[in-house]
Amino acid sequence: MDEKQIAEFRRALREAKSLPTLPAIISKLTRMAEDPETTSEQMGKVISKDHILAIKLLKLVNSAFYGFPQKISSLSSAIILLGFNVIKSLIISSSIFELMEEQDVELWEHSLGCAVICSVLAKRLDVNDPEEISTAGLVHDIGKVAIKMELPHQFKKILSATEKEELSVLGAEEKILGISHAEVGGWLSKSWNLPSKLVEPITCHHEPAKAKDEKLATAIVHFSDILVRGMGYGHGADIWVPPMSKQAWDMLGLTADDLDEIIEEVEEKLWDVKGFSLEITQEEMKQE
Amino acid sequence: MRILFVGKQIASSPEIKIVLETKGYQLITREKLHSAISLFLDDPPDMLVMEKGFDNNQGSDTDLMNSVKACQQKVNIPVILAVTQEDIKKGVDWKTYSVDDFFTLPPVPHLVVNRIELALARMVRVFDNNPLSKLPGNTSILQAIQRSIESGEKYAVCYIDIDNFKPYNDRYGFSQGDDVILMVARITVNAVDELARKDSFIGHVGGDDFVFIVREESVQSVCERILDNFEVVKKMFLSSDDLEAGCYNEKDRQGRETTFGLLSLSIAVVLTEIDKFAHSGEVATVASQVKHYVKEKEGSNYLIDRRAYR
Repeated sequence: MDEKQIAEFRRALREAKSLPTLPAIISKLTRMAEDPETTSEQMGKVISKDHILAIKLLKLVNSAFYGFPQKISSLSSAIILLGFNVIKSLIISSSIFELMEEQDVELWEHSLGCAVICSVLAKRLDVNDPEEISTAGLVHDIGKVAIKMELPHQFKKILSATEKEELSVLGAEEKILGISHAEVGGWLSKSWNLPSKLVEPITCHHEPAKAKDEKLATAIVHFSDILVRGMGYGHGADIWVPPMSKQAWDMLGLTADDLDEIIEEVEEKLWDVKGFSLEITQEEMKQE
Repeated sequence: MRILFVGKQIASSPEIKIVLETKGYQLITREKLHSAISLFLDDPPDMLVMEKGFDNNQGSDTDLMNSVKACQQKVNIPVILAVTQEDIKKGVDWKTYSVDDFFTLPPVPHLVVNRIELALARMVRVFDNNPLSKLPGNTSILQAIQRSIESGEKYAVCYIDIDNFKPYNDRYGFSQGDDVILMVARITVNAVDELARKDSFIGHVGGDDFVFIVREESVQSVCERILDNFEVVKKMFLSSDDLEAGCYNEKDRQGRETTFGLLSLSIAVVLTEIDKFAHSGEVATVASQVKHYVKEKEGSNYLIDRRAYR
């Protein structure tokens, strides 16, 4: 793409509203919203399993209009501050968007798995607010969703390049668009006033050495992205496991034994999440 | 001034549109529930005029009203309901439809415009709200306390105050301090709304002081929810260095270096019980005694005054 096209794309991104959400999650949440006994905490638990609803919620709470620009980086804080009625409104207004396709479900599982590993690692490394990092892991690939929605034509070319030329999605994006989903996600999250605690891990998750203020969070998301790919849980539209940055690896300071323990812990958690995702995809099929 | 019209009949009347626009109002129209709600999330209007049961959808109108109520930056958005003659004959449940005014369909343009202007004038009259939190201010608070002690029912009047707020302001600046005040307002409004909406009240005395009133039976759960949520969200308002240290050094009022704890909340609770108080001022006096005790304890706490009087 030339500069003019890129500028055009950036403008379109700022106004992007229709990010597709899994209809089964929406119908689950709609049912919850109708039940007077439901709390915002319970709804938050479901929302924290969907990368699209999560980013919408973060966009809302960090908008100038709600009063906390560039401040709120964790989903549970966003949910507490917005409250039940706003969440309900968000769900009603999301219920019209287009259906997610099969490949989107894979990306959804990948995002969810990455968030799970981020949370395990953050707790292990004794980070101040582990939930913040798992939120970053959940939304790290939001640029991929944006490219698919706003540049459907180029997106198809990217997919076919990954198959025909055996490129990674990242490589194909750079070849066809001249920019990567990480950069796109960075623009999007910046223009939506998200705090740098989220913007940096999103922007630098493939090049953690470029992180300035949030080096550790970025390294954790980078590592979790790779581990979840390696474990074969969901995928990001190609079959390749991205390369690990040595700097990030050194920063995490993990030993082989640590890694064994982490994988064991993560496997158990992913199993629970898999249960949730099976429940959702089965509901999906029933609806069709 | 932006006015949102929701519903087929009122949204499609060119006459109303012309009259309103010549008066300098901006008219926005929507027919579907989700697009109306989207507007309230992204860019809320200053007033809502909607048809009862629009979008041929039962419950759509109350869903929209709830999202108007949830709209936190503009708390006082007046709502006018358009109803049919049949609705009027059957009687409308005005407790469900907590609107400011109504008119009947088909709409008579000049009548509609006058209803709108009356609702706007009324909104300005009752406005003693705090400019930052948009919550009701002192006059409304005193009235609410008086109402609850005269009601003959058991209420809890709760005074919230942010501990170590002055040193926080000194360290992070006033604008961040304002964000913390706004954060406490949101947490309180949402907790009360979720756990004790019926007959409750929330006001902003000023600065870092808030008052909320709930029925006695729900006071414990509301206080606990507020304190728990505050502990989660406050991390977003402190630097990671301060969080790690768990405290910070700043000069106190006399200019001496002192160590202060991180932000926390204190809630002093006074139970109105029946015939305990005659005047709202007595509640405030007891509250300041309770506040003294609860503020002595470290961290976030609430204390319910259970002493017997008279």
